[in-house]
Amino acid sequence: MFTELNSILNASPDSFTQGEFILVSVQHSDASFLIHHFLSFYLRARSRVCFLALVQSFSHYSAVSQRLGVNLTQAKDKGQLIFLEGLKESLSHLIPQEERTGSEAMDFLRDPAGGLRSLYQFVHSSLTHSGGGEMVEEEEAWGSPVLLVDDLSVLMSLGVSAGAVLDFSHYCRAMVCSQLQGNMVALVRCSSEEEEDEGDAEGSEWLRRGLTHQCSLTLHVQGLSTGYCRDIHGQDFVNFLLNDVPKTLDFPTRPKAVSERPDFCLTLWAL
Amino acid sequence: MLSELLQGNNTGDFLLLADSCSCSARNLLKSVVVSALNREESVHVLGFETSEEELNQTLNSSLTQRLHFHNAYSDPLGWTDHSAFTVDQFTSEQITHLIKRTVHSKPPLLVIDSLSWILRHASPLAVCRTLQQLKKGGAVRAVVGLLHADMHQRGTVGSVRHLASSVVSISPALKGDEAVAKITKRSKSGKVTQDEVTFSINGDLTLTIHSKQNPPSLKPTEPEEQQTDPTAHLTFNLRLSDAERQAKEKLSLPFVFSKEKKTALLHSTQGSGRILYEPDANDDFDQEDPDDDLDV
Repeated sequence: MFTELNSILNASPDSFTQGEFILVSVQHSDASFLIHHFLSFYLRARSRVCFLALVQSFSHYSAVSQRLGVNLTQAKDKGQLIFLEGLKESLSHLIPQEERTGSEAMDFLRDPAGGLRSLYQFVHSSLTHSGGGEMVEEEEAWGSPVLLVDDLSVLMSLGVSAGAVLDFSHYCRAMVCSQLQGNMVALVRCSSEEEEDEGDAEGSEWLRRGLTHQCSLTLHVQGLSTGYCRDIHGQDFVNFLLNDVPKTLDFPTRPKAVSERPDFCLTLWAL
Repeated sequence: MLSELLQGNNTGDFLLLADSCSCSARNLLKSVVVSALNREESVHVLGFETSEEELNQTLNSSLTQRLHFHNAYSDPLGWTDHSAFTVDQFTSEQITHLIKRTVHSKPPLLVIDSLSWILRHASPLAVCRTLQQLKKGGAVRAVVGLLHADMHQRGTVGSVRHLASSVVSISPALKGDEAVAKITKRSKSGKVTQDEVTFSINGDLTLTIHSKQNPPSLKPTEPEEQQTDPTAHLTFNLRLSDAERQAKEKLSLPFVFSKEKKTALLHSTQGSGRILYEPDANDDFDQEDPDDDLDV
Protein backbone atom coordinates (compact mmCIF):
# COMPACT_ATOMS: atom_id res chain seq x y z
CA MET A 1 0.00 0.00 0.00
CA PHE A 2 1.14 3.50 -0.61
CA THR A 3 1.23 5.54 2.56
CA GLU A 4 0.95 8.82 0.68
CA LEU A 5 -2.43 7.73 -0.69
CA ASN A 6 -3.62 6.95 2.81
CA SER A 7 -3.17 10.58 3.77
CA ILE A 8 -5.31 11.77 0.86
CA LEU A 9 -7.99 9.24 1.62
CA ASN A 10 -7.82 9.85 5.38
CA ALA A 11 -7.52 6.17 6.04
CA SER A 12 -5.11 3.74 7.61
CA PRO A 13 -5.26 -0.03 8.03
CA ASP A 14 -6.17 0.53 11.65
CA SER A 15 -9.03 2.89 11.00
CA PHE A 16 -11.01 3.38 7.85
CA THR A 17 -14.64 4.19 7.09
CA GLN A 18 -16.78 1.12 6.79
CA GLY A 19 -19.68 0.59 4.47
CA GLU A 20 -18.00 2.54 1.67
CA PHE A 21 -18.23 1.88 -2.03
CA ILE A 22 -15.11 3.37 -3.62
CA LEU A 23 -15.21 3.76 -7.39
CA VAL A 24 -11.95 4.14 -9.31
CA SER A 25 -12.76 5.63 -12.68
CA VAL A 26 -9.96 5.67 -15.21
CA GLN A 27 -9.62 7.66 -18.37
CA HIS A 28 -6.72 7.27 -20.77
CA SER A 29 -4.46 5.99 -18.10
CA ASP A 30 -3.45 3.03 -16.00
CA ALA A 31 -4.80 2.99 -12.47
CA SER A 32 -3.70 -0.50 -11.52
CA PHE A 33 -1.55 1.05 -8.79
CA LEU A 34 -4.78 1.89 -6.96
CA ILE A 35 -5.98 -1.70 -7.12
CA HIS A 36 -2.65 -2.93 -5.75
CA HIS A 37 -2.85 -0.26 -3.07
CA PHE A 38 -6.33 -1.26 -1.92
CA LEU A 39 -5.52 -4.97 -2.07
CA SER A 40 -2.51 -4.62 0.19
CA PHE A 41 -4.30 -2.04 2.36
CA TYR A 42 -7.23 -4.28 3.19
CA LEU A 43 -5.10 -7.38 3.62
CA ARG A 44 -2.99 -5.49 6.11
CA ALA A 45 -6.16 -4.35 7.86
CA ARG A 46 -6.98 -8.04 8.36
CA SER A 47 -10.19 -7.81 6.37
CA ARG A 48 -11.65 -10.74 4.52
CA VAL A 49 -11.07 -9.90 0.87
CA CYS A 50 -12.92 -11.30 -2.14
CA PHE A 51 -11.00 -10.27 -5.25
CA LEU A 52 -12.62 -10.63 -8.67
CA ALA A 53 -9.50 -10.40 -10.81
CA LEU A 54 -10.71 -10.39 -14.39
CA VAL A 55 -7.82 -8.75 -16.21
CA GLN A 56 -4.58 -10.15 -14.81
CA SER A 57 -3.33 -13.45 -13.52
CA PHE A 58 -2.81 -14.36 -9.89
CA SER A 59 0.96 -14.41 -10.32
CA HIS A 60 0.92 -10.80 -11.55
CA TYR A 61 -0.94 -9.50 -8.52
CA SER A 62 1.15 -11.70 -6.28
CA ALA A 63 4.41 -10.32 -7.67
CA VAL A 64 3.29 -6.72 -7.24
CA SER A 65 1.89 -7.31 -3.77
CA GLN A 66 5.19 -8.82 -2.71
CA ARG A 67 6.86 -5.49 -3.57
CA LEU A 68 4.27 -3.83 -1.36
CA GLY A 69 4.95 -6.21 1.48
CA VAL A 70 1.97 -8.56 1.31
CA ASN A 71 1.99 -12.26 0.49
CA LEU A 72 -1.08 -13.21 -1.54
CA THR A 73 -0.42 -16.96 -1.53
CA GLN A 74 -0.25 -16.99 2.23
CA ALA A 75 -3.41 -14.91 2.53
CA LYS A 76 -5.19 -17.32 0.20
CA ASP A 77 -4.06 -20.34 2.15
CA LYS A 78 -5.17 -18.82 5.42
CA GLY A 79 -8.58 -18.14 3.98
CA GLN A 80 -8.29 -14.37 4.23
CA LEU A 81 -8.25 -13.90 0.45
CA ILE A 82 -10.76 -15.43 -1.93
CA PHE A 83 -9.32 -14.96 -5.39
CA LEU A 84 -11.36 -15.43 -8.56
CA GLU A 85 -8.83 -15.69 -11.38
CA GLY A 86 -11.07 -14.69 -14.24
CA LEU A 87 -8.55 -15.41 -16.98
CA LYS A 88 -7.99 -18.98 -15.88
CA GLU A 89 -11.62 -19.76 -15.06
CA SER A 90 -12.82 -18.44 -18.35
CA LEU A 91 -10.76 -21.00 -20.26
CA SER A 92 -12.91 -23.85 -19.04
CA HIS A 93 -15.96 -22.05 -20.35
CA LEU A 94 -14.51 -20.97 -23.65
CA ILE A 95 -12.79 -24.29 -24.39
CA PRO A 96 -15.34 -27.02 -23.64
CA GLN A 97 -13.89 -29.96 -21.78
CA GLU A 98 -15.38 -33.19 -20.54
CA GLU A 99 -14.94 -32.33 -16.91
CA ARG A 100 -16.37 -29.04 -15.96
CA THR A 101 -13.84 -27.62 -13.62
CA GLY A 102 -14.71 -23.99 -14.08
CA SER A 103 -16.29 -21.94 -11.37
CA GLU A 104 -19.94 -21.15 -11.87
CA ALA A 105 -19.07 -17.53 -11.26
CA MET A 106 -18.00 -17.18 -14.86
CA ASP A 107 -21.24 -18.69 -16.21
CA PHE A 108 -22.10 -15.37 -17.74
CA LEU A 109 -19.57 -16.13 -20.46
CA ARG A 110 -21.90 -18.77 -21.84
CA ASP A 111 -24.87 -16.44 -21.75
CA PRO A 112 -23.83 -12.81 -21.45
CA ALA A 113 -27.39 -11.58 -21.90
CA GLY A 114 -28.45 -13.47 -18.81
CA GLY A 115 -26.80 -11.09 -16.43
CA LEU A 116 -24.36 -11.49 -13.57
CA ARG A 117 -26.54 -13.30 -11.06
CA SER A 118 -24.16 -16.26 -10.80
CA LEU A 119 -21.19 -13.96 -10.25
CA TYR A 120 -23.11 -12.22 -7.48
CA GLN A 121 -23.90 -15.56 -5.89
CA PHE A 122 -20.21 -16.43 -5.94
CA VAL A 123 -19.40 -13.18 -4.12
CA HIS A 124 -22.26 -13.79 -1.68
CA SER A 125 -21.11 -17.27 -0.78
CA SER A 126 -17.46 -16.18 -0.51
CA LEU A 127 -18.10 -13.43 1.95
CA THR A 128 -20.95 -14.80 4.01
CA HIS A 129 -19.78 -18.34 4.62
CA SER A 130 -16.45 -19.32 6.04
CA GLY A 131 -13.95 -20.39 3.38
CA GLY A 132 -13.72 -24.04 2.42
CA GLY A 133 -11.03 -26.21 3.87
CA GLU A 134 -9.83 -26.52 7.41
CA MET A 135 -11.23 -24.23 9.99
CA VAL A 136 -8.33 -22.25 11.31
CA GLU A 137 -8.56 -20.27 14.49
CA GLU A 138 -7.36 -17.18 12.74
CA GLU A 139 -10.39 -17.17 10.44
CA GLU A 140 -12.70 -15.88 13.07
CA ALA A 141 -10.44 -12.91 13.66
CA TRP A 142 -10.90 -11.50 10.17
CA GLY A 143 -12.42 -8.06 10.07
CA SER A 144 -15.21 -6.69 7.90
CA PRO A 145 -15.44 -8.12 4.39
CA VAL A 146 -14.12 -6.33 1.33
CA LEU A 147 -14.94 -6.84 -2.34
CA LEU A 148 -12.42 -5.76 -4.97
CA VAL A 149 -13.27 -5.84 -8.67
CA ASP A 150 -10.70 -5.35 -11.43
CA ASP A 151 -12.36 -4.31 -13.54
CA LEU A 152 -16.06 -3.78 -14.30
CA SER A 153 -15.58 -2.47 -17.83
CA VAL A 154 -14.16 -5.77 -19.05
CA LEU A 155 -17.53 -7.37 -18.30
CA MET A 156 -19.06 -5.12 -20.92
CA SER A 157 -16.49 -6.13 -23.48
CA LEU A 158 -17.44 -9.75 -22.75
CA GLY A 159 -20.99 -9.07 -23.87
CA VAL A 160 -22.71 -8.20 -20.60
CA SER A 161 -24.96 -5.17 -20.86
CA ALA A 162 -24.15 -2.05 -18.87
CA GLY A 163 -27.52 -2.35 -17.10
CA ALA A 164 -26.61 -5.84 -15.90
CA VAL A 165 -23.27 -4.55 -14.58
CA LEU A 166 -25.11 -1.80 -12.67
CA ASP A 167 -27.51 -4.38 -11.21
CA PHE A 168 -24.55 -6.54 -10.17
CA SER A 169 -22.78 -3.63 -8.47
CA HIS A 170 -26.06 -2.65 -6.78
CA TYR A 171 -26.53 -6.11 -5.32
CA CYS A 172 -22.88 -6.29 -4.23
CA ARG A 173 -23.16 -2.91 -2.56
CA ALA A 174 -26.39 -3.89 -0.80
CA MET A 175 -24.79 -7.03 0.55
CA VAL A 176 -21.20 -5.97 1.22
CA CYS A 177 -21.59 -2.33 2.26
CA SER A 178 -25.03 -2.14 3.82
CA GLN A 179 -25.69 -5.61 5.16
CA LEU A 180 -22.18 -6.69 6.15
CA GLN A 181 -20.81 -3.17 6.77
CA GLY A 182 -17.83 -3.96 4.61
CA ASN A 183 -16.18 -2.02 1.80
CA MET A 184 -16.21 -2.36 -1.93
CA VAL A 185 -13.70 -1.07 -4.48
CA ALA A 186 -14.38 -1.32 -8.20
CA LEU A 187 -12.51 -0.03 -11.19
CA VAL A 188 -14.23 1.22 -14.32
CA ARG A 189 -12.72 2.56 -17.52
CA CYS A 190 -14.41 5.30 -19.43
CA SER A 191 -13.84 6.81 -22.80
CA SER A 192 -13.46 10.50 -23.28
CA GLU A 193 -15.97 10.74 -26.10
CA GLU A 194 -19.28 12.01 -24.83
CA GLU A 195 -22.21 10.19 -26.34
CA GLU A 196 -24.40 12.57 -28.22
CA ASP A 197 -27.60 11.57 -26.56
CA GLU A 198 -26.99 10.74 -22.94
CA GLY A 199 -28.35 7.37 -22.06
CA ASP A 200 -29.04 6.51 -25.65
CA ALA A 201 -26.19 4.09 -26.06
CA GLU A 202 -25.54 2.35 -22.77
CA GLY A 203 -21.79 2.58 -23.08
CA SER A 204 -18.89 2.91 -20.72
CA GLU A 205 -19.61 6.56 -19.95
CA TRP A 206 -23.22 5.70 -19.04
CA LEU A 207 -21.93 2.90 -16.81
CA ARG A 208 -19.49 5.26 -15.12
CA ARG A 209 -22.31 7.72 -14.41
CA GLY A 210 -24.50 5.00 -12.97
CA LEU A 211 -21.70 3.74 -10.74
CA THR A 212 -20.93 7.30 -9.62
CA HIS A 213 -24.53 7.61 -8.43
CA GLN A 214 -24.17 4.40 -6.46
CA CYS A 215 -20.76 4.96 -4.85
CA SER A 216 -19.78 6.99 -1.82
CA LEU A 217 -16.34 8.02 -3.10
CA THR A 218 -14.97 8.39 -6.62
CA LEU A 219 -11.28 8.43 -7.40
CA HIS A 220 -10.92 9.68 -10.93
CA VAL A 221 -7.60 8.96 -12.59
CA GLN A 222 -6.69 10.50 -15.90
CA GLY A 223 -3.47 11.17 -17.69
CA LEU A 224 -2.39 14.81 -17.60
CA SER A 225 -2.55 16.71 -20.84
CA THR A 226 1.23 16.94 -20.83
CA GLY A 227 1.26 13.19 -20.91
CA TYR A 228 4.23 11.05 -20.20
CA CYS A 229 7.24 12.96 -18.97
CA ARG A 230 10.77 12.25 -17.91
CA ASP A 231 12.55 14.15 -15.21
CA ILE A 232 16.14 15.37 -15.31
CA HIS A 233 17.47 12.25 -13.71
CA GLY A 234 16.16 10.19 -16.57
CA GLN A 235 13.63 8.35 -14.45
CA ASP A 236 10.26 7.71 -16.01
CA PHE A 237 7.32 9.41 -14.44
CA VAL A 238 3.72 9.00 -15.37
CA ASN A 239 1.52 11.73 -14.04
CA PHE A 240 -2.01 11.22 -12.84
CA LEU A 241 -4.75 13.49 -11.69
CA LEU A 242 -6.65 12.24 -8.70
CA ASN A 243 -10.05 13.72 -8.00
CA ASP A 244 -11.83 12.60 -4.94
CA VAL A 245 -15.53 13.25 -4.77
CA PRO A 246 -16.81 12.49 -1.30
CA LYS A 247 -20.42 11.75 -2.00
CA THR A 248 -21.50 12.17 1.59
CA LEU A 249 -20.90 15.88 1.26
CA ASP A 250 -22.75 15.86 -2.08
CA PHE A 251 -20.30 18.15 -3.80
CA PRO A 252 -16.81 17.83 -5.36
CA THR A 253 -13.66 18.07 -5.55
CA ARG A 254 -9.95 18.47 -4.88
CA PRO A 255 -7.63 17.46 -7.70
CA LYS A 256 -4.13 16.37 -6.87
CA ALA A 257 -1.36 15.12 -9.05
CA VAL A 258 0.14 11.75 -8.34
CA SER A 259 3.13 10.26 -10.03
CA GLU A 260 4.22 6.70 -9.93
CA ARG A 261 7.70 5.44 -10.59
CA PRO A 262 8.30 2.02 -12.01
CA ASP A 263 9.87 0.90 -8.76
CA PHE A 264 6.52 1.49 -7.08
CA CYS A 265 7.30 4.60 -5.16
CA LEU A 266 4.42 6.97 -5.21
CA THR A 267 5.08 10.69 -4.94
CA LEU A 268 2.55 13.40 -4.49
CA TRP A 269 2.92 16.64 -6.33
CA ALA A 270 1.12 19.83 -5.49
CA LEU A 271 -0.99 21.22 -8.28
CA MET B 1 -40.18 29.07 -3.45
CA LEU B 2 -38.03 26.05 -2.59
CA SER B 3 -39.06 26.09 1.06
CA GLU B 4 -42.75 26.32 0.16
CA LEU B 5 -42.40 23.39 -2.20
CA LEU B 6 -40.81 21.27 0.47
CA GLN B 7 -43.55 22.23 2.88
CA GLY B 8 -46.12 21.51 0.19
CA ASN B 9 -49.60 20.70 1.33
CA ASN B 10 -51.41 20.32 -1.94
CA THR B 11 -53.11 17.13 -2.97
CA GLY B 12 -52.34 15.42 -6.23
CA ASP B 13 -48.91 17.00 -6.53
CA PHE B 14 -45.89 15.31 -8.04
CA LEU B 15 -42.58 16.88 -7.02
CA LEU B 16 -39.61 15.75 -9.11
CA LEU B 17 -36.04 16.19 -7.87
CA ALA B 18 -33.63 15.88 -10.79
CA ASP B 19 -29.90 15.53 -10.22
CA SER B 20 -26.76 14.39 -11.98
CA CYS B 21 -23.60 12.60 -10.94
CA SER B 22 -21.86 15.90 -10.24
CA CYS B 23 -24.42 16.85 -7.62
CA SER B 24 -26.72 14.50 -5.73
CA ALA B 25 -30.22 15.46 -4.62
CA ARG B 26 -30.54 12.67 -2.09
CA ASN B 27 -30.03 14.97 0.89
CA LEU B 28 -32.71 17.27 -0.48
CA LEU B 29 -35.01 14.26 -0.75
CA LYS B 30 -34.26 13.37 2.88
CA SER B 31 -35.04 16.99 3.78
CA VAL B 32 -38.47 16.62 2.15
CA VAL B 33 -39.08 13.45 4.18
CA VAL B 34 -38.05 15.15 7.43
CA SER B 35 -40.24 18.20 6.87
CA ALA B 36 -43.24 15.96 6.11
CA LEU B 37 -42.61 13.90 9.24
CA ASN B 38 -42.32 17.08 11.27
CA ARG B 39 -45.74 18.14 9.98
CA GLU B 40 -47.16 14.95 11.51
CA GLU B 41 -47.62 13.43 8.12
CA SER B 42 -47.09 9.75 7.35
CA VAL B 43 -44.48 8.98 4.75
CA HIS B 44 -44.10 5.83 2.67
CA VAL B 45 -40.68 5.42 1.07
CA LEU B 46 -40.00 3.03 -1.83
CA GLY B 47 -36.28 2.63 -1.27
CA PHE B 48 -34.47 1.21 -4.30
CA GLU B 49 -31.18 3.02 -3.83
CA THR B 50 -30.84 3.52 -0.09
CA SER B 51 -31.18 1.13 2.78
CA GLU B 52 -33.52 1.69 5.68
CA GLU B 53 -30.59 2.01 8.07
CA GLU B 54 -29.03 4.73 5.97
CA LEU B 55 -32.26 6.72 6.01
CA ASN B 56 -32.99 6.17 9.70
CA GLN B 57 -29.48 7.24 10.67
CA THR B 58 -30.33 10.83 9.90
CA LEU B 59 -33.74 10.88 11.56
CA ASN B 60 -34.87 11.37 15.13
CA SER B 61 -36.26 8.22 16.67
CA SER B 62 -39.55 10.00 17.38
CA LEU B 63 -40.07 10.64 13.70
CA THR B 64 -39.43 7.11 12.51
CA GLN B 65 -42.80 5.95 13.81
CA ARG B 66 -44.59 7.69 10.97
CA LEU B 67 -42.04 6.53 8.40
CA HIS B 68 -42.88 3.33 6.51
CA PHE B 69 -39.91 2.07 4.53
CA HIS B 70 -40.51 -0.50 1.80
CA ASN B 71 -37.24 -2.29 1.21
CA ALA B 72 -36.61 -2.47 -2.52
CA TYR B 73 -32.87 -2.09 -1.91
CA SER B 74 -31.78 -5.57 -0.85
CA ASP B 75 -33.38 -7.53 -3.64
CA PRO B 76 -35.19 -5.46 -6.24
CA LEU B 77 -34.96 -8.09 -8.99
CA GLY B 78 -35.96 -11.13 -6.99
CA TRP B 79 -32.56 -12.85 -7.08
CA THR B 80 -33.08 -14.30 -3.62
CA ASP B 81 -36.16 -15.96 -2.24
CA HIS B 82 -36.98 -13.34 0.32
CA SER B 83 -37.57 -10.12 -1.47
CA ALA B 84 -39.62 -7.40 0.19
CA PHE B 85 -40.41 -5.32 -2.88
CA THR B 86 -39.34 -5.86 -6.46
CA VAL B 87 -39.34 -3.48 -9.36
CA ASP B 88 -42.15 -5.51 -10.98
CA GLN B 89 -44.38 -4.50 -8.11
CA PHE B 90 -44.26 -0.87 -9.15
CA THR B 91 -47.86 -0.60 -10.31
CA SER B 92 -50.52 1.68 -8.90
CA GLU B 93 -52.63 -1.28 -7.71
CA GLN B 94 -49.82 -2.90 -5.78
CA ILE B 95 -48.58 0.36 -4.29
CA THR B 96 -52.09 1.37 -3.26
CA HIS B 97 -52.52 -2.04 -1.65
CA LEU B 98 -49.17 -1.64 0.11
CA ILE B 99 -50.12 1.74 1.51
CA LYS B 100 -53.59 0.66 2.60
CA ARG B 101 -52.04 -2.09 4.72
CA THR B 102 -51.25 0.64 7.24
CA VAL B 103 -54.01 2.76 8.70
CA HIS B 104 -53.63 6.50 8.28
CA SER B 105 -55.75 9.42 9.39
CA LYS B 106 -55.10 11.17 6.10
CA PRO B 107 -53.45 10.11 2.85
CA PRO B 108 -49.67 9.83 3.26
CA LEU B 109 -46.83 11.16 1.20
CA LEU B 110 -45.19 8.69 -1.19
CA VAL B 111 -41.45 9.09 -1.75
CA ILE B 112 -39.68 7.16 -4.52
CA ASP B 113 -35.88 6.72 -4.33
CA SER B 114 -35.31 6.52 -7.12
CA LEU B 115 -37.34 6.71 -10.30
CA SER B 116 -34.15 6.08 -12.29
CA TRP B 117 -33.91 2.56 -10.89
CA ILE B 118 -37.45 1.82 -11.99
CA LEU B 119 -36.98 3.41 -15.41
CA ARG B 120 -33.98 1.15 -16.03
CA HIS B 121 -36.13 -1.93 -15.65
CA ALA B 122 -39.58 -0.86 -16.75
CA SER B 123 -40.78 0.97 -19.80
CA PRO B 124 -41.11 4.76 -19.45
CA LEU B 125 -44.73 4.43 -20.60
CA ALA B 126 -45.65 2.08 -17.78
CA VAL B 127 -43.82 4.19 -15.20
CA CYS B 128 -45.51 7.40 -16.33
CA ARG B 129 -48.89 5.70 -16.32
CA THR B 130 -48.34 4.45 -12.77
CA LEU B 131 -47.22 7.90 -11.61
CA GLN B 132 -50.28 9.53 -13.15
CA GLN B 133 -52.60 6.97 -11.55
CA LEU B 134 -50.95 7.49 -8.17
CA LYS B 135 -51.31 11.24 -8.49
CA LYS B 136 -55.01 11.05 -9.22
CA GLY B 137 -55.82 7.90 -7.30
CA GLY B 138 -56.32 9.44 -3.90
CA ALA B 139 -54.42 6.75 -1.98
CA VAL B 140 -51.52 9.15 -1.50
CA ARG B 141 -51.62 12.87 -0.93
CA ALA B 142 -48.63 13.59 -3.12
CA VAL B 143 -45.68 11.87 -4.78
CA VAL B 144 -42.03 12.91 -4.52
CA GLY B 145 -39.55 11.24 -6.87
CA LEU B 146 -35.79 11.39 -7.32
CA LEU B 147 -34.50 11.13 -10.90
CA HIS B 148 -30.90 10.96 -12.13
CA ALA B 149 -31.40 13.04 -15.24
CA ASP B 150 -28.05 12.07 -16.80
CA MET B 151 -28.95 8.38 -16.84
CA HIS B 152 -31.83 8.50 -19.29
CA GLN B 153 -32.64 9.68 -22.74
CA ARG B 154 -33.85 13.23 -23.07
CA GLY B 155 -37.28 12.02 -24.14
CA THR B 156 -37.74 9.92 -21.03
CA VAL B 157 -36.61 12.71 -18.74
CA GLY B 158 -38.87 15.12 -20.60
CA SER B 159 -41.90 12.84 -20.18
CA VAL B 160 -41.40 12.50 -16.45
CA ARG B 161 -40.78 16.23 -16.07
CA HIS B 162 -43.99 16.90 -17.93
CA LEU B 163 -45.96 14.78 -15.49
CA ALA B 164 -44.57 16.65 -12.52
CA SER B 165 -46.35 19.63 -11.03
CA SER B 166 -43.01 20.94 -9.77
CA VAL B 167 -39.48 20.16 -10.89
CA VAL B 168 -36.34 21.02 -8.93
CA SER B 169 -33.09 20.52 -10.87
CA ILE B 170 -29.91 20.47 -8.81
CA SER B 171 -26.51 21.52 -10.02
CA PRO B 172 -23.28 22.25 -8.17
CA ALA B 173 -22.66 25.80 -6.96
CA LEU B 174 -19.33 27.59 -6.86
CA LYS B 175 -19.00 27.01 -3.15
CA GLY B 176 -18.33 23.44 -2.15
CA ASP B 177 -21.15 22.77 0.27
CA GLU B 178 -23.89 24.63 -1.62
CA ALA B 179 -25.99 23.73 -4.62
CA VAL B 180 -28.07 25.62 -7.13
CA ALA B 181 -31.70 24.64 -7.54
CA LYS B 182 -33.69 25.60 -10.64
CA ILE B 183 -37.35 25.34 -9.80
CA THR B 184 -40.25 25.14 -12.23
CA LYS B 185 -43.72 25.09 -10.77
CA ARG B 186 -46.92 24.48 -12.69
CA SER B 187 -50.04 25.51 -10.87
CA LYS B 188 -53.45 23.95 -11.55
CA SER B 189 -54.52 27.04 -13.46
CA GLY B 190 -51.70 26.42 -15.90
CA LYS B 191 -49.45 29.25 -14.79
CA VAL B 192 -45.75 28.40 -14.78
CA THR B 193 -43.37 30.10 -12.38
CA GLN B 194 -39.62 29.67 -12.35
CA ASP B 195 -37.02 30.44 -9.75
CA GLU B 196 -33.38 29.80 -9.03
CA VAL B 197 -31.86 29.64 -5.56
CA THR B 198 -28.60 28.64 -3.93
CA PHE B 199 -29.09 26.43 -0.92
CA SER B 200 -27.39 24.02 1.42
CA ILE B 201 -28.61 21.20 3.62
CA ASN B 202 -27.67 21.30 7.28
CA GLY B 203 -26.72 18.34 9.43
CA ASP B 204 -30.28 17.99 10.76
CA LEU B 205 -31.60 17.94 7.16
CA THR B 206 -33.11 21.41 7.32
CA LEU B 207 -32.77 23.71 4.36
CA THR B 208 -30.83 26.98 4.30
CA ILE B 209 -31.43 29.30 1.38
CA HIS B 210 -28.36 31.43 0.64
CA SER B 211 -29.32 33.68 -2.18
CA LYS B 212 -32.23 34.13 -4.48
CA GLN B 213 -31.51 34.92 -8.07
CA ASN B 214 -34.15 36.52 -10.28
CA PRO B 215 -35.42 34.28 -13.03
CA PRO B 216 -34.00 35.18 -16.44
CA SER B 217 -37.27 36.67 -17.78
CA LEU B 218 -37.52 39.24 -15.03
CA LYS B 219 -33.94 40.46 -15.01
CA PRO B 220 -33.99 44.18 -14.12
CA THR B 221 -32.02 46.51 -16.40
CA GLU B 222 -28.73 47.07 -14.74
CA PRO B 223 -27.47 50.62 -14.54
CA GLU B 224 -24.53 51.14 -16.84
CA GLU B 225 -21.28 50.61 -15.14
CA GLN B 226 -19.40 53.75 -14.32
CA GLN B 227 -16.64 54.20 -16.83
CA THR B 228 -13.40 54.04 -15.00
CA ASP B 229 -11.38 57.16 -15.52
CA PRO B 230 -8.12 56.13 -17.16
CA THR B 231 -6.36 59.31 -16.14
CA ALA B 232 -7.10 58.76 -12.48
CA HIS B 233 -4.01 57.11 -11.06
CA LEU B 234 -1.15 58.06 -13.33
CA THR B 235 2.21 59.47 -12.39
CA PHE B 236 2.10 61.97 -15.23
CA ASN B 237 -0.44 64.61 -16.13
CA LEU B 238 -2.76 63.94 -19.04
CA ARG B 239 -5.24 66.66 -18.34
CA LEU B 240 -5.39 70.05 -20.01
CA SER B 241 -6.04 73.37 -18.39
CA ASP B 242 -8.39 75.81 -20.15
CA ALA B 243 -5.60 77.99 -21.56
CA GLU B 244 -3.81 74.93 -22.89
CA ARG B 245 -7.00 73.66 -24.50
CA GLN B 246 -7.58 76.94 -26.29
CA ALA B 247 -4.03 77.07 -27.55
CA LYS B 248 -4.39 73.52 -28.82
CA GLU B 249 -7.55 74.32 -30.71
CA LYS B 250 -5.98 77.37 -32.30
CA LEU B 251 -3.04 75.47 -33.59
CA SER B 252 -3.22 74.76 -37.28
CA LEU B 253 -1.58 71.55 -38.31
CA PRO B 254 1.02 71.73 -41.06
CA PHE B 255 -0.52 69.47 -43.67
CA VAL B 256 -4.15 70.15 -43.09
CA PHE B 257 -5.55 72.56 -45.66
CA SER B 258 -7.59 75.31 -44.12
CA LYS B 259 -9.34 77.81 -46.34
CA GLU B 260 -6.70 80.49 -45.92
CA LYS B 261 -3.89 78.19 -46.76
CA LYS B 262 -5.66 76.89 -49.82
CA THR B 263 -6.28 80.31 -51.33
CA ALA B 264 -2.72 81.35 -50.56
CA LEU B 265 -1.38 78.37 -52.41
CA LEU B 266 -3.82 78.38 -55.31
CA HIS B 267 -3.60 82.02 -56.09
CA SER B 268 0.12 82.22 -56.14
CA THR B 269 1.81 85.61 -55.86
CA GLN B 270 3.13 87.42 -58.88
CA GLY B 271 6.43 86.32 -60.14
CA SER B 272 6.27 82.77 -59.14
CA GLY B 273 6.00 80.21 -61.86
CA ARG B 274 2.76 79.15 -63.35
CA ILE B 275 2.10 75.69 -64.50
CA LEU B 276 0.31 75.24 -67.79
CA TYR B 277 -0.90 71.80 -68.60
CA GLU B 278 -2.10 70.77 -72.02
CA PRO B 279 -3.16 67.18 -72.18
CA ASP B 280 -1.45 65.25 -74.89
CA ALA B 281 -3.26 62.89 -77.24
CA ASN B 282 -1.65 60.01 -75.48
CA ASP B 283 -2.83 61.13 -72.12
CA ASP B 284 -5.49 59.08 -70.63
CA PHE B 285 -8.31 61.12 -69.19
CA ASP B 286 -9.81 58.58 -66.92
CA GLN B 287 -13.31 59.48 -65.91
CA GLU B 288 -12.89 57.51 -62.75
CA ASP B 289 -9.59 59.06 -61.91
CA PRO B 290 -9.38 58.89 -58.15
CA ASP B 291 -7.46 62.10 -58.12
CA ASP B 292 -10.21 63.88 -59.93
CA ASP B 293 -12.17 64.69 -56.91
CA LEU B 294 -9.35 66.50 -55.18
CA ASP B 295 -10.27 70.01 -54.42
CA VAL B 296 -6.93 71.46 -55.31
